[in-house]
Amino acid sequence: MSESRQVVPAQRAWMTLVLKAGTPLVSAILAMGVGSLIMWVSGYDPAAAFAALFKGSFGGPKQFGETILRATPLILAGLAVGYGFRAGLFNIGAEGQLMMGGLLAAWLGVEMAGLPSAVTVPVLLIGSALAGAAWAFIPAILKARIGAHEVITTMMFSHIARFLVQWLVNGPIKAPGQTPQTAPLGLSGQLPRIPTLFSESTLEALPFLGLGRAHTGILVALLAAVAVWLVLKYTTLGYENRAVGYSPWASETAGISVQWTTVKALCISGALAGLAGAVEVMGVHHRVFDQFSAGVGFTGIAVALLAKNHPLGIIAAAMLFGALQAGSGTMQLEAGVPQKIILIIQALVIFFVAAEQIVMWFIRKRQKEAISGAE
Amino acid sequence: MNGKTRTIVAALLALMLVLAFVPGCTTEKESDSDEPTNGDNGAETPTTDVKAAMITDTAGLGDKSFNDLTWQGFEQAEDELGVQVEVLESATINDYESNLDQLALAGYSPLVATGFMLTDTVSKVAPMYPDTMFINIDGFFDPVPPNVVGVGFKENEGSYLAGVVAGLATIDTFDDRLNDQNVIGFVGGMDVPLIRKFQAGFEAGAKSVNPDIKVIALYTGSWSDVAKGKELGLSLIEQGADVIYAAAGGCGEGTVRACQEKGALFIGVDADQYNTIANSGDVMLTSMMKNIDVVVFDLVKAMVDDEFPAGTMQVFGLKEGGVGLAPWHDFDSKVPQSIKDAVDKATDDIISGAVTVPEAL
Repeated sequence: MSESRQVVPAQRAWMTLVLKAGTPLVSAILAMGVGSLIMWVSGYDPAAAFAALFKGSFGGPKQFGETILRATPLILAGLAVGYGFRAGLFNIGAEGQLMMGGLLAAWLGVEMAGLPSAVTVPVLLIGSALAGAAWAFIPAILKARIGAHEVITTMMFSHIARFLVQWLVNGPIKAPGQTPQTAPLGLSGQLPRIPTLFSESTLEALPFLGLGRAHTGILVALLAAVAVWLVLKYTTLGYENRAVGYSPWASETAGISVQWTTVKALCISGALAGLAGAVEVMGVHHRVFDQFSAGVGFTGIAVALLAKNHPLGIIAAAMLFGALQAGSGTMQLEAGVPQKIILIIQALVIFFVAAEQIVMWFIRKRQKEAISGAE
Repeated sequence: MNGKTRTIVAALLALMLVLAFVPGCTTEKESDSDEPTNGDNGAETPTTDVKAAMITDTAGLGDKSFNDLTWQGFEQAEDELGVQVEVLESATINDYESNLDQLALAGYSPLVATGFMLTDTVSKVAPMYPDTMFINIDGFFDPVPPNVVGVGFKENEGSYLAGVVAGLATIDTFDDRLNDQNVIGFVGGMDVPLIRKFQAGFEAGAKSVNPDIKVIALYTGSWSDVAKGKELGLSLIEQGADVIYAAAGGCGEGTVRACQEKGALFIGVDADQYNTIANSGDVMLTSMMKNIDVVVFDLVKAMVDDEFPAGTMQVFGLKEGGVGLAPWHDFDSKVPQSIKDAVDKATDDIISGAVTVPEAL
């Protein structure tokens, strides 16, 4: 008896790790399997499609750069949603905070044109994070003080942000010309594309640095992921966040202010979403126009779900979604598979992640049955 | 049921679930996007080594508008000129640049990008591929890069004709939904200069045949908010409008439903909306069409004939066949000859230059 007791914790730790990393992997593989089936039934060659998808996302430095480009905002948006989830909050309106962050970056970037990059870039990033946090603040206060559900309020705030951007780019901050968009950022506020950081000769010697459109925003995203991981694991702030996520009542009893933790969690979530908007504006579009975010805030929910809200897992999950997006062009061109298949695979990933909960429920039920049977 | 049977039943149910939506996918695929098939178009197809490609905006193929019309022009070019054609759909705005990039690398030229939201991307990509030709529908460039053609339309001219129809219809009695008030309505999408151009032409056309007419214009602020389109339609009908012209993208469908509910007539936009909005025939008087398919075909043909007008803005009005009214369809027998004659006269006047249609209000 005492022997088996010693074995159990080690075994359980190993099992937890497998379940943690394994089930998302299985979900992704299952999604691609069912995706293949759909392609096959629709008369396409799944093998050719996935070969092209891989080629278009990891086939060379330029293609890998495209994957990084797509993953960059997804990492930040995934962190935003994931951080909220860890406190038991569903920040479904990350898209809105993202737009406010992007909007602020676009405005400051124009105003600060001409100043050195070393000043402009940090100011834009911090400003965007604050803008995102501010946009999450009112839903956070509403949640903490009167219990208004954040799913409703953050979603509504996301609509307000969308229409605000739409109105601003059509009027008050519209650049001259036909198109409803803002003027481009000054050069100092732009995040440079990675290949432009190196000289021609360096790029020739080290061809893997020729990462196409990937920009330095990926560094911001990776740093943020590590920072969130450290905060959650080693700080009081992170501990309180997780404790409230597990059980608000127990936390309250233990002397943690649930209200204050809720406010902090949603604001940090909003700040991360604001950063996602900033890297898109500073690294890709260099300006803001209506619907400039392409639903990154919503894909971020899927990224967080797939990664089970683990900050480092979010990097991997974002890379997967980034690769699916980056490779879809090559898949259309070389395998003739319509781009909508990619959307189906993305949806299936989410479906299987959700289905995992059902499988887990079955396993637990079986275990219970087995235990009661043994007795 | 023991555990095993349960598992099998569950698996079968899951399989049914999967199979149930597979046929849906296949049919959609067939109707939406006839993928290009190279070389099975009969032996008499002339050959050329021009390979043309388009990227869609995020609406994708099956939008029954810009993207589908461009593809129609491509299909015609494939059939009649033997041009090899390809299409890449864009899921998000981040795909625009990478899709254009891939097509340029794969040797396609010209590349067609539709919509003014892609103008930035075309400006960015075109200099990287100086030997590839780019066409941007609704794109305005100043200056025009040497390997780009910006395509504009004189929507105001087509809208003028729509105005003539509406202006005469509202004082006519060929349909019992036409009331005795001299009021017509306009539903715009986003309040941008392009849509003001539609409104300006429409008002000018209506006033040319009916100087005392009152034209009420409302904007949805969106290209896709169907409910808002309906709301504004109802509001216009409330204010006495009996003919409504909508230049508001997908919102127009809502306006059609408002017309059906409260009894008014509708004039569509961009495509022949008799075909693209389901069950709209009872109110669809006509549509102001932007003949994107014609323009795309002409430009691809110019490429084949080595006459591609690279580095220019090309503006297509009534004279060039770029805009015009759709057939009357169900209203063909109802609409009096006097209105049809007035449309013909206005068309002639614009083409001959006797009438100049304003571009702004």
